Amino acid sequence: MDLTTALPVLLATAWLLPLGSFALIVLFGPWMGRRGVGAGYLATGAIVVSFVLSLIALLGWLSHHPIADAGHHAAETVEHGHEAAASHAAPAEALKPVAGDWYALGRFGSLAITIGYYIDSLTLVMFTMVTLVASCIHFYSFGYMHEELGIVTDPLVRKANGRLLKRKGRFHRFYQYLSLFCFSMLGLVISGNVAMVFIFWELVGICSYLLIGFYIERKSASNAANKAFIVNRVGDFGMLIGLMVLWSTLGTFSFGGIFEQVRPADAGHELIVPDGMVHAAAADEIEQITLTAATPEEANQAIETATPGWRNAGYGQWLLIIAGLGIFCGCVGKSAQFPLHVWLPDAMEGPTPVSALIHAATMVAAGVYLVGRFYPVFTPEVLLVIAYVGCITLFMAATIAITATDIKRVLAYSTVSQLGYMMLSLGVGGWLAGLFHLITHAFFKSLLFLGSGSVIHACHTNEMPEMGGLRKKMPWTAYTMLTGCLAISGAGIPLLWGLSGFHSKDSILAQLFSFRIQNSVHGNILFWAAAGGAAITACYMFRLWYLTFAGKPRNEHVAQHAHESPAAMVAPLVILAVMAAIAGWKVPFTNVGVDTLIGQSRPVGTELGVGANTAVAVMPAERLSHEKPIHNTVSWIAFFTALAGFLVATVFYGVRRLDPDDVRKTFGPVYTFLCRKWYFDELYQLIFIRPVMVISRAVAAIDKHGLDWLADNSARFVKWISRLDEWIDRLLVDGLVNQIARQTHRLGLALRAVQTGNIRQYVMAIAFCTVTLFVVITLYWSYIMAAGS
Amino acid sequence: MNLLFEPVGLAHYLVVGAILFVTGVVCMATKRNAVGILMGIELVLNGANMNFIAFATPGLRADEGLSLGLDGHMVALFVIVLAAAEAAVGLAIVLSFYYNHLTVDVDEAEELKG
Amino acid sequence: MEAINWHSCFFLLFAILSCGFAVAVAVSDNIVRMAVYLIASLAAVSGLFFLAGADFVGAMQLMIYVGGTLVLLAFGVMLTARGPLVKIATGGGQWVLGAMLGGGLLVILLQAAFSVEAWQRPEVTPEVAQGEDLATAAPLGMGMMGIRVDQLDETDTVKRGGMSGYLLPFEIVSVHLLVALIGAAYLARARRPAHLVQSGDGGKGDRRPEGGDR
Repeated sequence: MDLTTALPVLLATAWLLPLGSFALIVLFGPWMGRRGVGAGYLATGAIVVSFVLSLIALLGWLSHHPIADAGHHAAETVEHGHEAAASHAAPAEALKPVAGDWYALGRFGSLAITIGYYIDSLTLVMFTMVTLVASCIHFYSFGYMHEELGIVTDPLVRKANGRLLKRKGRFHRFYQYLSLFCFSMLGLVISGNVAMVFIFWELVGICSYLLIGFYIERKSASNAANKAFIVNRVGDFGMLIGLMVLWSTLGTFSFGGIFEQVRPADAGHELIVPDGMVHAAAADEIEQITLTAATPEEANQAIETATPGWRNAGYGQWLLIIAGLGIFCGCVGKSAQFPLHVWLPDAMEGPTPVSALIHAATMVAAGVYLVGRFYPVFTPEVLLVIAYVGCITLFMAATIAITATDIKRVLAYSTVSQLGYMMLSLGVGGWLAGLFHLITHAFFKSLLFLGSGSVIHACHTNEMPEMGGLRKKMPWTAYTMLTGCLAISGAGIPLLWGLSGFHSKDSILAQLFSFRIQNSVHGNILFWAAAGGAAITACYMFRLWYLTFAGKPRNEHVAQHAHESPAAMVAPLVILAVMAAIAGWKVPFTNVGVDTLIGQSRPVGTELGVGANTAVAVMPAERLSHEKPIHNTVSWIAFFTALAGFLVATVFYGVRRLDPDDVRKTFGPVYTFLCRKWYFDELYQLIFIRPVMVISRAVAAIDKHGLDWLADNSARFVKWISRLDEWIDRLLVDGLVNQIARQTHRLGLALRAVQTGNIRQYVMAIAFCTVTLFVVITLYWSYIMAAGS
Repeated sequence: MNLLFEPVGLAHYLVVGAILFVTGVVCMATKRNAVGILMGIELVLNGANMNFIAFATPGLRADEGLSLGLDGHMVALFVIVLAAAEAAVGLAIVLSFYYNHLTVDVDEAEELKG
Repeated sequence: MEAINWHSCFFLLFAILSCGFAVAVAVSDNIVRMAVYLIASLAAVSGLFFLAGADFVGAMQLMIYVGGTLVLLAFGVMLTARGPLVKIATGGGQWVLGAMLGGGLLVILLQAAFSVEAWQRPEVTPEVAQGEDLATAAPLGMGMMGIRVDQLDETDTVKRGGMSGYLLPFEIVSVHLLVALIGAAYLARARRPAHLVQSGDGGKGDRRPEGGDR
């Protein structure tokens, strides 16, 4: 079968299977198997089949688009320059993405809202990664969520009567949400247009909301869910602005259509301000032309000829920047970048598998994915903003992670930090490095989360000071997590070989180093922040491992009850550990690896870097970072920074030669500053929530004393009128009726006395009346007769 | 005495009827015994009958052609029959009242008092 | 000296008897005596009927009233006349009131009785009228069957049209009598309300020890 027809079918099946599972569980969840355990089997089966289909699709893609071997690659890197660019463009043309529409929801003029697809190697790799991690987590949840099959006693929720909350298990609901999430995430990845992206963007958001609030009875969980949702709204607001700019100026939502206009083929795929934006910005001039021109054709002609001049004059440039910043704003919210990173650590209130899937591997990476997808649209200014945001995020989150004691919070800040790495990499032109790190990070971070979940499952606490010495109790968890720690720290033998994080982090740092060469000021800041972040990463990761698994148990009670997790939980750990180790490797004797595979999808026109002709910043071609002088230097720098971090952690927590408490005392204010998470929550409380509260209170006061006063007084007036009316009614109308009734009543009461019930009185009355009648008739007889005659 | 020698006229019969009627009415008005009231009714009816018979007899009045004749007798007969029926029903009511109140004093029957 | 008019004499006798006994009924307090006085009074009235030439009505008066209705009344008296109930005295005020009313009524009636001159004297030849052709039973019987034998010589066609007999009223009266007697028998059945039954055997609310079936 042809690839262009096979891929959409395969991926659509893989995409819709979780939806079917979700629908079935929604309808029949509680009745599936014993206490809904069948829902888990169904969802797991669906996602595993999705994984298999994704893998088939990936292999199919590979068979049609083989990756050139390393030799060719090396040769290509040697001859750089414009000739190379021309030769490079040719294969890029061949690797056109498989794009199209399945179904048109509606057409509004030139704008079509469709359910479409845009499949390239990035899509396929994301599909495979998401389905693989999701499959592992589905399996893992059988063990972790086992309690939900019965009656659950929530140890963290006390009811009003002081007893612990008891509730029915929600096993099926958990898998129902997971299925919905998988469907949404895959839909987000496969989307062929921005409108669809936005729909699934919101869908993953709502899944995240539902799963963070899975333990809805816990106040902290429902608060965290709300926080995540509301913070994301801020980002989505920016994203909507970006989408509106794109749509109103370009008239299309589809990726292909947007990219064609932003980087037209006849301009050599250079980023130019598209005609639509130029015209939107030059609306006044166009109006002038239209008014003066004789015929519409003439006017169009004049506009055509004037457009390049306007473009060179900078018309529409700011629209392009706003579009890019708007899109990035949505990604900031979703990927928990500074300053919207505050929701992610709180999101750890959800079950740990959820944290692993949504808040480490997939959903939060969707922001990075979208930045990567929209890469052609970003101008150098926007890229620089992305780089700085990523840099701030990575450094800030890494420092907070050092002081956190909650095992999941450490990992959460680690996630934020690593996402910052990816953003930074994308921002400095390291498109491939950033997305490569996205894939490797997904594996080792989900591994770390699942490992922490295993620990929590065994210890029933999140606090690392309560743990310690668990290595002997739960060896599988301990060593798979060690693999994860090594991977995230970028452990490896410099220049040769290492775990997945080694490869991806090295390429990021190399790109940064390359950037530093071209932009000294920005480059120095960004590079050293990133390198320092790498050292801190190694430090806090090993701190976590030492505190949890090494040394002696600090809490006998916890240690006694700890036990290795069931096979359903250990098996995914092992699989992910293997993936975390090898995800960065190439298939032996070929050049096929995740990085080269993703490299096939590099947006056309970005191979030579971005912004070479602008004064803002130069994002160098990624190819340059692979050159020996840069790469070797960076490898050693990365190695030593990571080693430094590892050694610090070992000295403090591993062999305990130094007491961290001393450091804490010495750097009290800094420690507090870090513990309070750089006071971000307090800051937001002060500058956003407090003013909003003040404003809303003021509005409420206006409402109360202004509008309510008006309403009250008009109501009072109406009341007064109605009272008057009532008075008239009562006094005149009712009075009349009542008076008649009253008089009748009184008469009846008076006559009542006559009705004695005494038969003799009646007789007498009759007789008396007869006599009277006779007397009267007799007296007036003559008159009556006279009248008659 | 005139009546011993002169023939009686219609008016004399009417006087007797009137006296019977009035005694009957007084009897009804003053008797507290329910049976006494029934007796008063009988008297009243007899007074009326007396008048009918008097008006029916042709030889008692000067204007002879205007007497009722047999019609008066017939009405009198009907009245007698009616009185019999009335007596039977009235007596039944009295007995019923007596069974309910263990008395025949009509002053005790005040249930219908307004 | 004029010959004594016996018709007038007997009229006087019966009139005095009937009126006297009627007054006695009215003034007596004793129910038993009242019944006796009433019998006497009504019997005297029947005598007056005979005197007036209504022999059949007089006979009926004796038979139905004296023999039937009054026996009924006597039974009523006997059934109800227990101790204190025999004499139920009426207050003086009531008497005064009754007397005043009765007097007024009597005055009006007497005034009416003597208001027509023709009513005061009979015809000029009383001999013809008295004792002659007194048999009214046969014409009455024929009248009840629908034939008015006493007015066969009526020439006025309008009057003859109104001379249909008394068959229909007779039937109506007989049915009415039947209904009244049945009704009376129904009304007079002894059924005492539960609240007046002192010793509760057979009272409505009582449970019989034998249970529900018979």
